[in-house]
Amino acid sequence: MWIIVGQSLISGLLMGGIYALVSIGLTLIFGVMNVVNFAHGEFLMLAMYLTFWVFHYFQIDPYVSLLIVAPALFLIGAVTQKYLIQHLIRAEHYTQIFATVGLSTIMANAALFFWKADYRMVKTSYVSSTLTFNDLVVSYPRLISFLVAIGITVLLFLFLKHTYLGRAIRATSQDITGAKLMGVNINRVYIFTFGLGSACVGVAGALLMPIYYAFPTVGLHFVLTAFVVVVLGGMGNITGALFGGLLIGVVEAFSGFFISPELKEAVYFVIFVLVLLVKPSGLFGLTKG
Amino acid sequence: MRFLKGNYFLGFLILLALLVAVVQNAFALHLLIMVFTSIALGQAWNIIGGYGGQLSFGHAAFYGIGAYTSTLLFVHLGVTPWLGMIAGGILAVAASLVLGMPCFRLRGTYFTLATIAFAEVLRILVVYFKGFTGGSIGIVLKFNAGFLNLMFRDREPFAYIALGFMILTYYLSVWIENSRLGYYLTALKENEDGARALGINTYRCKLIALMISAFLTALIGSFFAQYLTFIEPESEFSLGLSIAMTLPVMIGGIGTALGPVIGAFIITPLQELLRIYISGEYQGLQHIIYGIVLVVVVICIPQGVYRWVTESIFKKRTA
Amino acid sequence: MLEVKKVNLAYGQMQVLKEVSLRVHGGEIVSLIGANSAGKSSMLNAISGLVPLAGGEILFEGNPIHSLPSHEIIELGIIQVPEGRRIFPYMSVRENLLMGSYSRRARPKSSEALQRVFELFPRLAERSTQLGESMSGGEQQMLAIGRGLMAGPKILMLDEPSLGLAPIVVEMIFKVLQEVNRQGVTILLVEQNVKESLDISIRGYVLENGRVSLEGAAKDLLENSYLKKAYLGL
Repeated sequence: MWIIVGQSLISGLLMGGIYALVSIGLTLIFGVMNVVNFAHGEFLMLAMYLTFWVFHYFQIDPYVSLLIVAPALFLIGAVTQKYLIQHLIRAEHYTQIFATVGLSTIMANAALFFWKADYRMVKTSYVSSTLTFNDLVVSYPRLISFLVAIGITVLLFLFLKHTYLGRAIRATSQDITGAKLMGVNINRVYIFTFGLGSACVGVAGALLMPIYYAFPTVGLHFVLTAFVVVVLGGMGNITGALFGGLLIGVVEAFSGFFISPELKEAVYFVIFVLVLLVKPSGLFGLTKG
Repeated sequence: MRFLKGNYFLGFLILLALLVAVVQNAFALHLLIMVFTSIALGQAWNIIGGYGGQLSFGHAAFYGIGAYTSTLLFVHLGVTPWLGMIAGGILAVAASLVLGMPCFRLRGTYFTLATIAFAEVLRILVVYFKGFTGGSIGIVLKFNAGFLNLMFRDREPFAYIALGFMILTYYLSVWIENSRLGYYLTALKENEDGARALGINTYRCKLIALMISAFLTALIGSFFAQYLTFIEPESEFSLGLSIAMTLPVMIGGIGTALGPVIGAFIITPLQELLRIYISGEYQGLQHIIYGIVLVVVVICIPQGVYRWVTESIFKKRTA
Repeated sequence: MLEVKKVNLAYGQMQVLKEVSLRVHGGEIVSLIGANSAGKSSMLNAISGLVPLAGGEILFEGNPIHSLPSHEIIELGIIQVPEGRRIFPYMSVRENLLMGSYSRRARPKSSEALQRVFELFPRLAERSTQLGESMSGGEQQMLAIGRGLMAGPKILMLDEPSLGLAPIVVEMIFKVLQEVNRQGVTILLVEQNVKESLDISIRGYVLENGRVSLEGAAKDLLENSYLKKAYLGL
């Protein structure tokens, strides 16, 4: 019995690392720009497909093509910000929502149109390898993905804490007028932040391919999960998104085992609603650290 | 702004009724049915989304609840859909409370996210309890013509009923717009804190608006179940449907009673033509087009065609 | 050094500055005095490039700056210590100060600037890892001024630094401002606290309802009968 609990815990944590990465991208963008990007999931989908095609045509392993996919997503994010989102920042709230929902529909259906609905998987040599500790079996690719996700998260933290640009991003999220008075070019910060959030999602996409599969609406599942994590962790709170992601991963694993795999999303919704009822600012509050 | 109100609009409605009586072509009647129901769905959505300013992209949830409730009652217990749709409406209202009560305490975006999640979860639940709901295969309604069954051989009766829904929702919208609820909703949409400071119970207003909206949406869901004689979770609870519901409202003019009318006449025929000629072979293309239309409209004419036109005329007169 | 020529500023329909002109020469401490909503903050925000002008010009060292974006104005060395301090609440004292030297101009000299600020404000050195929001009003003001100094300003503009602070703290801050001025920084001081600010200034302007109603040498202003009645309660 305990082995199964332990198994679920590990499996959940490993997946949680990736949820955390996706959510961090989302919460970063929200914390700095106050824009809810409903198309965030589609950026993930795009990253996954990109990873797939790179593997398909060039046989490049996803953990390596990460180095291509992440910058690619950064660029796509930056361009989207400059030509679309920027116009929405000062717009009415409903305009932002409609526009990003519209973007999300366009992207998901463009994927459906061009790439069809088939599930795409990346079959690397190690896709079924496992490691065994005592009686616990750990999937090798999941472990790698988790480690990379955590690694990237740590790098992101260091970047935000110790570089001028990182501090500028945090400053912008805390007091935009103050940041302007320090000489921060807010438009550039926005572009960079959106790019950075998209790059996070790009990494997550590459990390997912060895352990999951791509299809046009894969974004929906992950974005809903990411939103639950972001609400749990506090909107704009990056540390919160990290722990929230891990927590949700574990909850998902446990509910998959103890309740039913098909009802995982129903469980999230209940959690989402409960958290909103009890502590709307999230389990970890609102600090924009 | 007065030009289509009151008597003019009544005249317009009579014209539509005559149109239904005269037109024989099945496809044309189908188009009319689609337009009328788009208007009704748009009006329903508009109550919470337009007047209340709370954007829902999960209204398919209420639509689906209506469709499934009346269908299950019809197929398993022989209950007439006319009653079944009321039952569906009531269930939808209950569901809307589950959704609205936690979410309306907070910022609008949380509500929007929750609506998407809500519809998704319902879809999952319907698929999961396949013994009861038929799962992802869906349910086929056996054709059995009759008024009580809300099934007809010709499309004409359907068109009249659809027109009826359109009239009902339009005048309901107008009534709400001019009622105290409407004023409160306008106030809280502009500035929720300010409205609360004035003593308006914004939480309750939003809930009431959502409940009305959910009820009406469910009615249309039931209607369509009878019209199409087939329901499945993918169609009834899909995000695409939720988004498509908002198109006529956004195009015509969000937050006005006339907006969905104008918007539906513009976009619904296009939607239907796209669906028939494009989908299947070019799966996804029609939704790409909807998405583009949505983005373009929301950036270029966020106020909708109706206000855009009336404002330009107003400007020309005072220029 | 800084010249404001017949500047008009409006927020929507409300005109906040009407044909305001003022000058600050290098090395001076100049005061801009006025009651609440006289338009003082708006003047600084206009100079900093945060709000656009409806008319008039702002020149710095002879060059027009009123159409420049705010980050370029910072690069020129025109630094504002804003009203209410606007320090970054979830960043430490040290991080706040480092943000002060964000501009390309100030970054290379960042470590020396940090040393100097810690010398001027030893309290900040003590609390260098403390979060901004947990500091007292006086400490936040010191931090805000320190942050302004980190930018290596040619001209330092302060918006009501004495607001909400105990007199003894105000005294200390004004002493620091004089010291900073002695070290070569020009100062434009916007204040409601008329006596303290005029005491350390060479010249002053009085802003009332968006217009300059009085100007001249600080000493003369302090003797001015209208000023004494309206602002000093004498």
